[in-house]
Amino acid sequence: MSAAEGLIFGLGVALQPTIMLYCLIGVVLGTLIGVLPGIGAMAAISLLLPITYYIPPEAALVMLAGVYYGSQYGGAVASILLRLPGTPQSVVTALDGYPMTQQGRAGVALFASMVSSFAGSILGIVVLVLLASWLSAVATSFGAADYAAMMVLGLVAASTIGAAAPAKALAMVVLGLILGCVGTDVNSGVQRLNFGSTQLMDGINLVALAMGLFGVAEVIGGIRGAERHGVPERVSFAQMMPGRDDARRMVGPTLRGTGVGSFFGALPGTGSTISSFLSYALERRIARRPERFGKGAIEGVAGPEAANNAAAITAFVPTLTLGIPGDPIMALMLGALVIHGVQPGPMMIEARPEMFWGLVVSFGIGNLLLLILNLPLIGIWVSILRIPFRWLYPAIIVFVCLGVYSVRGSTFDILAVAVIGAAGYALILASFSPALLLLGFVLGPLIETNLRRALLISRGDPMVFLERPIAAFFVCASVALLLLSAAQSFRRRGRRAA
Amino acid sequence: MQRDLHDLWGGAVLALLGLAVAVHSAVSYDFGTLRQMGPGFFPTLLGATLAVLGMIVAVPAWRRQGQAAPVALPEAAAVLGSIVLFGLTLDWLGLVAATALTAMIATLPSERRGWRWRVVLAGALALLVWLVFSVGLQMTIPVWPWSR
Repeated sequence: MSAAEGLIFGLGVALQPTIMLYCLIGVVLGTLIGVLPGIGAMAAISLLLPITYYIPPEAALVMLAGVYYGSQYGGAVASILLRLPGTPQSVVTALDGYPMTQQGRAGVALFASMVSSFAGSILGIVVLVLLASWLSAVATSFGAADYAAMMVLGLVAASTIGAAAPAKALAMVVLGLILGCVGTDVNSGVQRLNFGSTQLMDGINLVALAMGLFGVAEVIGGIRGAERHGVPERVSFAQMMPGRDDARRMVGPTLRGTGVGSFFGALPGTGSTISSFLSYALERRIARRPERFGKGAIEGVAGPEAANNAAAITAFVPTLTLGIPGDPIMALMLGALVIHGVQPGPMMIEARPEMFWGLVVSFGIGNLLLLILNLPLIGIWVSILRIPFRWLYPAIIVFVCLGVYSVRGSTFDILAVAVIGAAGYALILASFSPALLLLGFVLGPLIETNLRRALLISRGDPMVFLERPIAAFFVCASVALLLLSAAQSFRRRGRRAA
Repeated sequence: MQRDLHDLWGGAVLALLGLAVAVHSAVSYDFGTLRQMGPGFFPTLLGATLAVLGMIVAVPAWRRQGQAAPVALPEAAAVLGSIVLFGLTLDWLGLVAATALTAMIATLPSERRGWRWRVVLAGALALLVWLVFSVGLQMTIPVWPWSR
């Protein structure tokens, strides 16, 4: 199927009323969660995971994806108006967005973020289509050793690139891998690490883990901060229209941001958060007057917002064509697909065209819906920001409990969520990343299977990872990243001692 | 001097956990060979790696100053307590009462005093949850204490 045929086919899927409905639900919920400071896309997707049991897999994927990129639009709102990033991806947006608000240009900043988000997404879709068909063709020649090595690189990259403490990040990944081992070993049928509990026979429940780590832990952390944030001013559609000068300044950063985001989104291990930081750094470096940044430069809003949205789209490339999630959010998506018995990989575009092309077209529809929802209706989202968090978080707690309960009607799972939530909050306090733990958890069984297969094929010769060129490249890249970050932290330590 | 207790404790706990996993897996499960990896191979390897990483985190923290992050203890207790309560009472009290109870406990740490808004919130949430999960999604769930 060519790209044009695929898109037409996808249009037929995505325009079905049920798919459209779930797309709308996804983007509205995503925007809502994004607008609210304190809870991010991870929490929102975890909350919705149980609901996906009840709906067809393509609708589930479309909805969860909508939550993800919808939250990127919403995240900018609190960032710009209150300097309270609603999501990690919109931290950078506050740097210049909030000064614009202080200068009375909140509307223009919101307009810039929405329009460049939209442009970044649409161009990201083009990149996604091109890259995915190419990568699927290439990936058919990948063997088990290549997959195992690539997943290891993904984990190493996610925990070393841009991490303040790589050792802590790696420890979280490894802890996640260990938790992924709990339950029945698929190869031998042996019960592993379950302390004789029959409740853990099928392993740790992804829904309970995700809800505890994100839903519960984020609510605990959010209560105090959210009770004290200020009240945003009202913004109307009329105030959003940029002048000619602003509009002209947005074009370049949006295009460059899209490029940065498309590239780093598709790479395993780097995602939309890193893309937005890099785009900001790029804009400041090439600006003729870099001193304007941090004081309300519209370029500093447009670039990163385009980047994080483009990255949110292209992040689906490795997830769908290789079955390897590049970041923790994609790990949750993959988990949702596996729940439905869909195993993404190089054959997915051929074998499940309705999922792939339906999703691609739904990206376009969803982003169009977001633009419509966010520009004329911006006032509604701003007024949601005026609702105190204390009216909202009890509902989140009850929804978490019922969501977990609905998976298999077990109150044991609700108690497990409390335990996982406590652990998650402790991790956040000690600044260990629960998101990386989840990434390791989802990838663990895949790595073990491919490692086992690769060594079986090579008759126990570990050199297989260096003899196959693709695997060797991934192994070398992983080792290089590890050495680089080790050298960096030694240098940092030396400087502190001096 | 305040040591970097987060990394010290966090690293130490992870190192011990890794060690425990490695030892337990090595003793209880078949390690196998490289060619035929047994069920113990992967967990033993991971446990050992975690033990090393935990040490790398903990040891330098001993000589480093750090600042303790403020713990939101009342919030944590209320949120976790309300979840446990929900889990324990759902089968027994039913959806509506368990939800209302959970909402009352969860809002305890809020800065806004008074109980009237809490009762309103609890009632509204119980109604919403009943409408969404029992009426809307048709979930099989006890609604009232006597509806088991």
